[in-house]
Amino acid sequence: MYKYSEKDKKIIAGRVKQFRNQVQRRLNGKISEEEFKPLRLMNGLYLQLHAYMLRVAIPYGELSSRQLRKLAEIADKYDRGYGHFTTRQNIQFNWPKLPDVPDILEELSKVEMHAIQTSGNCIRNISADHLAGLTNDEVEDPRPWCEIIRKWSTFHPEFSFLPRKFKIAITGCENDRAAILVHDIGLKLIKKGSRIGFQVFVGGGQGRTPYIAKKINDFLLKKDLLNYLEAILTTYNQLGRRDNIYKARIKILVNQLGVEKFKELVDESFKKLSDKKLELNETTIQKIFKFFELPNIKHCNEKISISSNQKFNNWIKQNTIPHKILGNSIVLISLKSENRPPGDANSMQMYKLANIADKFSFGEIRVTHEQNLVLPHVKNSEIYEVWNELDKLELATPNIDLITDTICCPGMDYCALATARSIPISQQISNFFKDYGDQKKMGNIKIKISGCINACGHHHVGNIGILGLDRNGKEFYQITLGGSSKQDASIGQIVGPSFSSENLIIAIKKILQTYQKNKSSDKDDFMTVFRRIGIEEFKKNLYDNTGKTN
Amino acid sequence: MSANDLLTGKVVFYSPGGWSFRSNDALKINIKDIEKFQRIIEEDEKRCIIVSPEFVELDESGHIKTLRDKIRNSGVTIEI
Repeated sequence: MYKYSEKDKKIIAGRVKQFRNQVQRRLNGKISEEEFKPLRLMNGLYLQLHAYMLRVAIPYGELSSRQLRKLAEIADKYDRGYGHFTTRQNIQFNWPKLPDVPDILEELSKVEMHAIQTSGNCIRNISADHLAGLTNDEVEDPRPWCEIIRKWSTFHPEFSFLPRKFKIAITGCENDRAAILVHDIGLKLIKKGSRIGFQVFVGGGQGRTPYIAKKINDFLLKKDLLNYLEAILTTYNQLGRRDNIYKARIKILVNQLGVEKFKELVDESFKKLSDKKLELNETTIQKIFKFFELPNIKHCNEKISISSNQKFNNWIKQNTIPHKILGNSIVLISLKSENRPPGDANSMQMYKLANIADKFSFGEIRVTHEQNLVLPHVKNSEIYEVWNELDKLELATPNIDLITDTICCPGMDYCALATARSIPISQQISNFFKDYGDQKKMGNIKIKISGCINACGHHHVGNIGILGLDRNGKEFYQITLGGSSKQDASIGQIVGPSFSSENLIIAIKKILQTYQKNKSSDKDDFMTVFRRIGIEEFKKNLYDNTGKTN
Repeated sequence: MSANDLLTGKVVFYSPGGWSFRSNDALKINIKDIEKFQRIIEEDEKRCIIVSPEFVELDESGHIKTLRDKIRNSGVTIEI
């Protein structure tokens, strides 16, 4: 894991002190809300529907047990005893009080955490594949690159007031688990001959105008990474619209200019920058890579033994992946247990999980962009014990990648922008499809739910996407089908008129019936069938004879 | 008339005795008097009591009209 340098510590401590002063000035009336808002947002502090919300950065989703304990402590001491893990691998506290926030930030700084780059029109916390460094199908670990970009982007003077927020994600695999194609910049590490470099994608995003990112560089040398990013950001900073918040993201610029023209401008800017001070040398790169070396994991031939306990066997099938070091596994912890808001963990779960991580996983925990957690290095010989501990904490739901493993934004229960609730919809789905056997029969399927068009619940890239709308004061839900955030990313297509919350489950059931009916083999997952038969077949079965459905 | 309490962020309602956390205490105001109450809002924003003020629409029976405002009043609809 990355460890703060003295310079990092000084920066964070300085920032806490600065914000403490800003909060004090706000409370004393020396600055207005209008003046304070951009300052609090730069420190991750939002004002939501009925409380403040503090978003804390978890760079590239990597947490130590010590940090998780601190988050649990903050949840108990300053909040309501729980935290919410987000789709960008961060954590949110939903109920902090304004005068307490500087104290919270100070406590976070003691465990090398902060809330910088979690809000505002800057380069946000860089996200990465949650299995980075753990699997054999990886070209290279993306986390050191996230850290290199983090160092360059934090408080970058030129990019602190961009036209809009800016999100970067990196994967080191062909199998994209970081949703890079729906980010402002997506980076994919690839191998060309004996050399490793980056494919660069630009202009992806969701919100009210969703786009899949377009490739603008087929092979960028590692040494040029920061200069090239600087060229993209400079182009965007100069030409991105600032007159209309809804048209200010880089995706709009890329699509207005056309990808070829955008690439031309970036290349021009890059030529001026290349060979300058941002060029990365091997020593710098290696210094950062050192922080991300695997702990001392023992290679062995131990396999996971099949138990007489069916619950354990289901969980093994669904929630574990072989580690690249033989005899070890990666454990995926679902935060989608029945009746719990997706992504939420209470302080007791966090404390105990930190202990489990210390005992069984070298004190490491990861956060996934699908709002789950990971114990990255567990010995196969200890996996039953880990399951047992997780089960006691209600953290052993065997549903990773299944229909109840939904992504869901906070929706109108918390968010001031939402037009409908989303958590109760996710809970309806969890209740209705709770049987593991039934879920398994349906195979891998992603349901993603947003409470408004801003798409924080990633509905555009859900295999089944659900968007909450306000229709004459009532909550209605529009369904999209065929979205994906993987390497074959696609934006879902609207299936037709929206449904009331009462009829939504019936609609989902009908969609699943169409899928089941059109499977040509057991191996066909939802997306395979959707891409083969198209949306019309789903529409026909959903709306024929169902005039009353919506 | 509603807002968030500056210190806690909690939802508050304007009542005869000032800002209250209880909507039952809220003063129901007529649309024609809005301007007068807007002045109170501006003043209380300057005095660092409230932030993010807004008017809550009521139906003919005097009940909160929109779901958003109902949730602001009664809290999250899920178990946390």
